[in-house]
Amino acid sequence: MPNDPKSRESDSSGGKHTARNIIFAAGGGLALVALGSLVVELGLAPAWLTGEPVQKTAMAQKPRDDLFHPPDTASIPDDEFGAAVQRGMAIFTNTGTNASDHVGNGLSCSNCHLDSGRQPLSAPMWAAWVAYPKYRGKNKQINTMEDRVMGCFTYSMNAQGSPSGGPPPHGDDIYRDLESYFYWLATGAPTNEKLDGSGFGKVEKPEQGYDLARGEAVFAEDCVVCHGPDGQGQKDLNGRYVFPPLWGADSYNWGAGMARIDTAAAFVKHNMPLSQPGKLTDQQAWDVAAFLDSHERPKDPRQKGSVEETRKAHHDGDETFYGKTVDGRLIGVGMQASAAAKAPEED
Amino acid sequence: MFGRKSKSDHPRPDENFEPYEEFSGIPMPVYWIAIALAAWGAFMLYDTGKDVTLAQDERVEERAVQISADQGEGGNLFVANCSTCHQPDGEGLRGAVPPLAGSEVLAAGPEIVARILLRGIDGPIRVGGDDFDGHMPSFASALNDDEISRIASYVTLTFGETDAKLDPKRVADLRHEVGDAGSFAGGAELATIVTSMPPQPPHPAPTAADAMTATVQDLVFAGRDDVWACASCHGDLGQGGENTPRLAGQPAKYLTKQLNDFRDGTRDNESMQIVAAGLSDAETAALGAYFATLRATSNASPNLSADLARGERLALQGDWSLGVPACFTCHGSSGFGVAPDFPALAAQHAPYTASQLAAWAGGGRQNSPLGLMSQISQALSSQDRRAVADYLASLPPVPAGRTASAQEGTSNAE
Repeated sequence: MPNDPKSRESDSSGGKHTARNIIFAAGGGLALVALGSLVVELGLAPAWLTGEPVQKTAMAQKPRDDLFHPPDTASIPDDEFGAAVQRGMAIFTNTGTNASDHVGNGLSCSNCHLDSGRQPLSAPMWAAWVAYPKYRGKNKQINTMEDRVMGCFTYSMNAQGSPSGGPPPHGDDIYRDLESYFYWLATGAPTNEKLDGSGFGKVEKPEQGYDLARGEAVFAEDCVVCHGPDGQGQKDLNGRYVFPPLWGADSYNWGAGMARIDTAAAFVKHNMPLSQPGKLTDQQAWDVAAFLDSHERPKDPRQKGSVEETRKAHHDGDETFYGKTVDGRLIGVGMQASAAAKAPEED
Repeated sequence: MFGRKSKSDHPRPDENFEPYEEFSGIPMPVYWIAIALAAWGAFMLYDTGKDVTLAQDERVEERAVQISADQGEGGNLFVANCSTCHQPDGEGLRGAVPPLAGSEVLAAGPEIVARILLRGIDGPIRVGGDDFDGHMPSFASALNDDEISRIASYVTLTFGETDAKLDPKRVADLRHEVGDAGSFAGGAELATIVTSMPPQPPHPAPTAADAMTATVQDLVFAGRDDVWACASCHGDLGQGGENTPRLAGQPAKYLTKQLNDFRDGTRDNESMQIVAAGLSDAETAALGAYFATLRATSNASPNLSADLARGERLALQGDWSLGVPACFTCHGSSGFGVAPDFPALAAQHAPYTASQLAAWAGGGRQNSPLGLMSQISQALSSQDRRAVADYLASLPPVPAGRTASAQEGTSNAE
């Protein structure tokens, strides 16, 4: 503040130098202040000076600029199409409520397609949209997006246990809304190209294969805090699932892609624990994926005869426990969808 | 220029030199920097002081303007405050949240809706033939009379097909009348004033009395040696304030773990470490169980003058470009918490939340499972941390508040 030098002026018995010194000092000081504030205001000051650095979590650490970016939800248009996009997003993130007639478990699309279907390597819907129609070995035919989503309802959402007993029929509004949402997410994406970040990625099977005991140890260490000690997920006060069940009557059925160990390992490696992807080694990812996919879950809806017949027809060559025997127990017989596994009660 | 010249003059005094006049040994740029620093410091002091004193008033004004500008319609208020649970179409959540559409309660008109908004519901309720474990927050602290009247009118018109309008003045009367009645004890109590409701499931006896043993009562209200009475800082109902956290309604095991962590040094806090050192395992467990049963209305407010919209986005959607998932992905869809490891965030005091996020980020607090909170906090800037703390403080507490003290809290159960 200029007050101090001025008071010094009155002390000194009138040297012209002192007076001029003071004026120059004050002028220079104020000029520095002005310059400094200009630099800060224009954002030219380095980050270490103006604020602390931010350390992104592992979920963000991959170089992302080369990946496709879906538009921001704030830019959903305010018209009929935008309304369909909003409805589709609501179905996607809250499937059990907004498509309740066709959901036979406790899951939502967004449990595996993270960040409402936007996150790379968690099967983002912007990448899926530009990859269909395509031929799928699973049903040996050309699949449209509607066919594909019908498959999601049939297997991952266990539609056989839902009030209607099946997926939404072809032409249902649920498909219109979901496809509107996917189409909007893929705004500006090139069609018929495999985009980086699509699917769950691939994690090669480690030399040691996989092991259930090791998998159980990984589960106890890194998964229990959210998915619960018995893998049945956890609910909030009102009984709403916050963390999804990984096996049992309220989880995906034996026909779902996630029931294959290689698929589950890739999802786990690239997305779990949430906000810490990549924490687990490839070995740990395979072990824990095997552990959770060795538990019983709703039966494969394609099963007509025995488990062995279904295994031959639909699971031959897959990395799966379906049709194998673990501890003397045949895996894949399925369990009835029920009001299902209760979340651990607080006591 | 002048500075250099005087320096070169230095060895040879000029003609007017007087013995009492000292040479300036300090170069002019040093004066410049000193004065610049002084001016900057004074400005910062002024600026911070102004922030502290004016922030609260400004916030209240801004909120009022914002509400009248873009949230004035009941529909927008409904979406902002109700739709996370009851869903935008009022259909509720299967097995968790009762539907509004077709609900027997709405047939009774908007005044009942306003009463429910003011008090909240804490107990089982049967709607449309289905039973729900009802835990609805009280919005008395989060919404003003005008907002409540608009929501109540909107809800009854949209989902109950009754076009009666509710006057804000009537809401003010209701607010006065409801006073500290606490939340409705489930559908059973609600049915006593809503005749259109079907028979309701019985309301279980409150557990506060069970948890309130003589030991707990002593510890909470009287203290013992170095164990200061909990209530002396955290309030009679565990409602906390500013940097002292709200404990009411937190998961019992979470609270017990924090006390044990203070005791063994895993969590750092000078006061709490002294307190916890004097507690046995049985006592930390009993205190956790006790505070989990408490019901207190919100006394938190967004007082950090941060960006509420940014905070809302972080809480509901996260910022995945920073690698930060939504708070509510783990802490529950309305910040209710998920027992035993994820504490409730709704109605927590903003200064406390912000200080804990800063502590996670800086390494001062390290007791979260898998180090989840350390990584997430480090990814947030200090503005983001304050923004999310402010947003969470603006939410209604769950379970719904009960302002009567815990010992006599059973009086309003029918």
